[in-house]
Amino acid sequence: MTKKKVLPVILAAAMALSMTACGSSSKPAESADAKAEGAAASGDKIDLTLWHIQTGATAEIVQQSAERFMADNPQYNVTVVQKQNDSYKTDLSLAINAGTMPDVFLTWGGQTLYDYIDEGLVCDLTEYMNADNYKDNYLDAAVEQCTYNDSIYAVPIENVSVAGFFYNKEVFEQYNLEEPKTIAELEKVCDTLVENGISPFALANATKWTGSMYYQYLATRFGGLEPFAAAAAGDGSFEDEAFVYAGEKIQEWVEKGYFCEGFNGMDDDSGQARMLFFNGDAAMDLMGSWFVSNVADESTMLEDDTLGFFPFPELETSDANQTYTLGTLGDNLYSVSAKCADTEGAFKLITYLLDDEAVAARKAQGKIIPLKDFEADNDVVNEILDTLGGAAGVQLWYDQYLPSEVAEVHKSTSQEIFGLTKTPQDANAEMQKAIDTYLGK
Amino acid sequence: MNNAKSMVARNKREIATAAAVFLAPALIVIAVFIIYPIIQSFITSTYDWNGYSAGKAFVGLKNWAALMKDKEFWHAFKNNILVMVLSIVLQMPIGLALATYLNNRKGRGSQVCKVIWFLPMLMSSVAIGYLFRYALDPSTGFVTAISKMLGGGKVDLLGNPSYVLITVIFIIAWQFTPFYMVYYMAGYGGISGDIHEAAMIDGATENQYFWNIALPLLKPSIKSAIVLSMVGSLKYFDLVYVMTGGGPGNSSELMATYMYSQAFESYRMGYASAVASGMFILISIIAIVTMRLLNGKED
Amino acid sequence: MAGTKKGFKLSSVIIGILVAFWFAVCLVPFVFMLMCTLKTQKEIMKFGVFSLPQSFFLDNYIEVFSGNIWRYFFNSVIVMIVSLVLLLLFSAFAAYPLSRWKFRLNKPIYALIVACMSVPIHVTLLPLFMMTIKTGLYDSIWALIGPYVAFNLPISVFILTTFMAGVPKDLEEAAGIDGCGRYGIFWKIMLPLAKPGLSTLLIYNGVNIWNEFSFALTLTQTSVNRTLPLAVNEFQGQYAMNIPMIMTVLFVSILPMVLVYIFAKDKLIEGMMAGAVKG
Repeated sequence: MTKKKVLPVILAAAMALSMTACGSSSKPAESADAKAEGAAASGDKIDLTLWHIQTGATAEIVQQSAERFMADNPQYNVTVVQKQNDSYKTDLSLAINAGTMPDVFLTWGGQTLYDYIDEGLVCDLTEYMNADNYKDNYLDAAVEQCTYNDSIYAVPIENVSVAGFFYNKEVFEQYNLEEPKTIAELEKVCDTLVENGISPFALANATKWTGSMYYQYLATRFGGLEPFAAAAAGDGSFEDEAFVYAGEKIQEWVEKGYFCEGFNGMDDDSGQARMLFFNGDAAMDLMGSWFVSNVADESTMLEDDTLGFFPFPELETSDANQTYTLGTLGDNLYSVSAKCADTEGAFKLITYLLDDEAVAARKAQGKIIPLKDFEADNDVVNEILDTLGGAAGVQLWYDQYLPSEVAEVHKSTSQEIFGLTKTPQDANAEMQKAIDTYLGK
Repeated sequence: MNNAKSMVARNKREIATAAAVFLAPALIVIAVFIIYPIIQSFITSTYDWNGYSAGKAFVGLKNWAALMKDKEFWHAFKNNILVMVLSIVLQMPIGLALATYLNNRKGRGSQVCKVIWFLPMLMSSVAIGYLFRYALDPSTGFVTAISKMLGGGKVDLLGNPSYVLITVIFIIAWQFTPFYMVYYMAGYGGISGDIHEAAMIDGATENQYFWNIALPLLKPSIKSAIVLSMVGSLKYFDLVYVMTGGGPGNSSELMATYMYSQAFESYRMGYASAVASGMFILISIIAIVTMRLLNGKED
Repeated sequence: MAGTKKGFKLSSVIIGILVAFWFAVCLVPFVFMLMCTLKTQKEIMKFGVFSLPQSFFLDNYIEVFSGNIWRYFFNSVIVMIVSLVLLLLFSAFAAYPLSRWKFRLNKPIYALIVACMSVPIHVTLLPLFMMTIKTGLYDSIWALIGPYVAFNLPISVFILTTFMAGVPKDLEEAAGIDGCGRYGIFWKIMLPLAKPGLSTLLIYNGVNIWNEFSFALTLTQTSVNRTLPLAVNEFQGQYAMNIPMIMTVLFVSILPMVLVYIFAKDKLIEGMMAGAVKG
C-alpha cells in the first residue's frame, strides 16, 4: 500500500511508439459513438464519473475543473472520484470486470493503454481532438503517445518529466567540482566525492524503478534507442551488449562506493534518499523532473539556490546519439470509456482539466504541462525543459513500455544487479526469457 | 433392549439437528465469503488471464505444472517456514512470560504495563512500516546510531539479502506478541485462583507453581496458540509488503506477497490464482497435521 | 538458605530489567509516532524522525479534523460494532456443538473451519468485488460486514472451541438434570463460561476490523462511505508522501482504540478471570 510499484510516468517518443505498435497484435477498437446519441436525447441530467489519482492541491484543481464544467454545462452531473495511486490499476481492472468502468479515466499510456484499446474498452477521440485543431495546443510528441493505430485515444494532462541528475551546488562548490559532460568526467567527480567521505549518488532502491533509471540511461548512451525497442519487440535481444554494458557499469560503480550505503533497503516515496541529498551527505540524485516539487515541499534548497541540474553525461566512446533523454511528455493520459453514454460530453469534461484556470493553477505548483506554449517560472525547471528541447528523442521508461509481467522482471533483476546478487549476464538472460514467454503467447 | 437402542438413535438425531442449527450461521457466512471465492480461484487457476480482458484462455493444469517447478514460489515457501518457526520461538515464550508477570498482579505499575505492552498490537502495519524503515535507515537510523556509539560503522539490515527477512521477522514478533500475551492471560483466567492458593499453602514457590501446575494447565492454550501463530505466519503479508516488497531481489518474498505481485503487479491472474490455491492447500495440510500431532495423545 | 535468598533478589533485578526493557520497546515507537505528528514535512526531512519537534506544531491535526475524518470515524464505528456482534454470536454458536458434542460431521466441519483460516484474503478480492456489485452493496459500509465477519470467523471459532472444551462436563450435566435443554445450556452455562475467550476475541477482532485496509479499499469508493484506515489515501501522492500528515491520520485513527482499551481493559480482564470456575 505504500509502494509505488507502478512507475507512474511514461514516455514515448514517436520512434519508440511506432515500435511498440508494431510489436503488439492489433484489432480494431470498437466504436462507441453510436451509443452516445441515445442517452443524450433524454431530458434528465447525464451522469459522468471521473477517476483521478491526484492528491493535495492538484486534487483540488481537478475538482474545480469539474465544477466549472458543470456550471457551464448544467445538463451534466459529474462525480469526481479520487483513487489511490498504488491500487489504481487494480481498481480499474476490477471495475472493467464488473462492467462499472468510469466514463473518464486515466492511464499512463504504453502497453497498458494499448491492451485496453485492443480489448475495445476505450473510445476513439480523434474526431474531437481534430475539431478546431484542439490537439495543436499539445506537444506533438505528447499527442503521439496517446495515438495507436493512427487514432487518438487519450488526452495528456499532467506532468512532463525528464530524468537527469540533480545535484547539491554547495557540495560541488566545496570540492571545486563542475557539472560533468561525459561519463568519464562523472566518474572523476564521484572519485573525488568518495575520497572526501561523501556518497556521490543518493539512491533508494527498494522502490526498484529508481535504480532502473541508471540502467536505462547507460544502455541508451551505449546503444541509442534501437537495442531496447528491438528487444521489446522480439526482434533484438536483452542480451545485447548495450545491456551488458549498463549492468557492468552499475556493478563497477556499486563496488567503488558511488551509491549511498544500504540503498537496496531504502524507500524513495518516504524520502530516505532525499534526506541524504538535502543534507549534503549525498551529492547527486538521478530523478525525474517532479523532483523539483519534492524539493519545494520538503527542503529549503530552492530558496537557498543550492539545487542544480545536469543531463545524464555522454559516453564518448559510443557512436549512438548522445542527446536522448529518459522522461515523459505527460503522464495521466485521460481517456473515455467505450461504455460512456455521452462521449462528446466526457471529452469536453477532459478539456476543462487544462482550461486557462487549471493551467495557471498547475503552473503555480511548479508542474510542467504538455502544452506547446508552456513556460515555467522556475530556473531549474527551464533548464530541464531546455534539455528536452535539445533531445533527438526520448526513451520511454522501460517499466511502462513493457507489458507488466515483463516490467516486473526488469525491476527485480535491475535491483539484483545493484545488489551484486546477479551478474548482468544472468539478469539479461532472465529478461530475454520473460519477453520470449510473453511474445510466445 | 429395542427401546434403549431407539432412544440412542433418537438422541443422535436430536444432536445432529441441534448441531445443524448452531452451526448454520457460521457455515453459511463461510460458504459465501470464503469457500465460494476459493472455488473461483481454483477455476481461474486453469486459465491464462490478465485480469481484465474479456477472453480467458483455458490452459488446464499448465499453471499448476508451472507452480510445481517455480523456484520463486518454493523459495517463498521456505521463507514462510522460517517466519513460522521463528515466530513460534519468539512470540510464544515472550507472550507467556508477559502474561505470567501480569497474572495476579494488581498494582498501578502492572496496570500501566497492561496498556503499554499492548500498544504494538494497536498500531497499524502502515505506521509500523514507516517507523521501522526510518529506524533502520543505514545512514540516519537508530541502529546505525547505536553502532556508531559503540565504535562500529553503518548498519544495513533491510538492504542486505542475508539479514532482511530475519529483521522483518523480529518486527512481526514485536507486533504480535501482545496478542499472545492477552491470549495467555485469558488462559490464566481459566485456572481457578483456589489452585494457586492451595499450592502456596502447600509451600510451593512461584517458580514451582508455574512449572508444575500452571504450565500443564495452560497446555491447551499453548497448543492452539501455536496453531494460530503457524497459520498466521504461513499466510503473512502486511509488514513484508510495506517494508521490503519482498526484496531485495526475492530475499524476503513470502507466498502471499508473491501471489499479490503476480496478480496485481504482473497481471497474471490465472497464475496468481494457482499460487493462492497452492498456498491454501499447503497451509491447510500443515495446520491439520500439526493439530493431529498436538492432540494425538488425547484422542 | 541465605544463598537462595540472594538468588531470589538477583532474579528480581533481572526480571525488573526485562520488564523495563520490554516497556521501552513497546512505548518508544508509539512516542516517535506522536512526535512525527507534531512536525512539518520539511522538519522531518531535515532532522529526521527521531529528533524532538522544533515547536508545538498543530497544523497537521487541524488539517485532519477539517477533512472527512468524522465521517470515516462514524463509518468505522458502525462497521466494527455490527461485525463484532455478529462475529462473536456466530462463533459462539458454532464452537458450542464442535467442542461439546459427538456427531458424525464434527471432525470434518472443524477441519474445514481450520482450513479456512489459511485462505489468503487477497485472492478473494476479485470474486467478492463482483459479488458486492451484483448484490448492489458496492460502495456502502454494509459491503464490508460480510467479509469482516467471514474472515475473522474461523480463527474465532477455533479459539472459542478450545475455551469451551475446557469447561468441566459436570456443569453441563447438572444443568441438564435441572431441566435445561441444549439451547438453555448454551445461553445459561456455555456463553457466560466462555467469557475469557469472548473477551480475547473482542480485543483481537476489534483491532483487526478497525485497522482493516484491503477490503475497505476494494469494496468502497466514495469518501462518505469509507472507513478510517483509508483516510491516509489523501496524503499518498504519485511521487512522494506527506509523512507527518500520514502519521497524524494514523495516530488519530488508533487513538480511539487505545482509549477504549485503557477504559475497558479492567472489564475485559475481569471477563477473562470470570472463567475461573469456583467449586
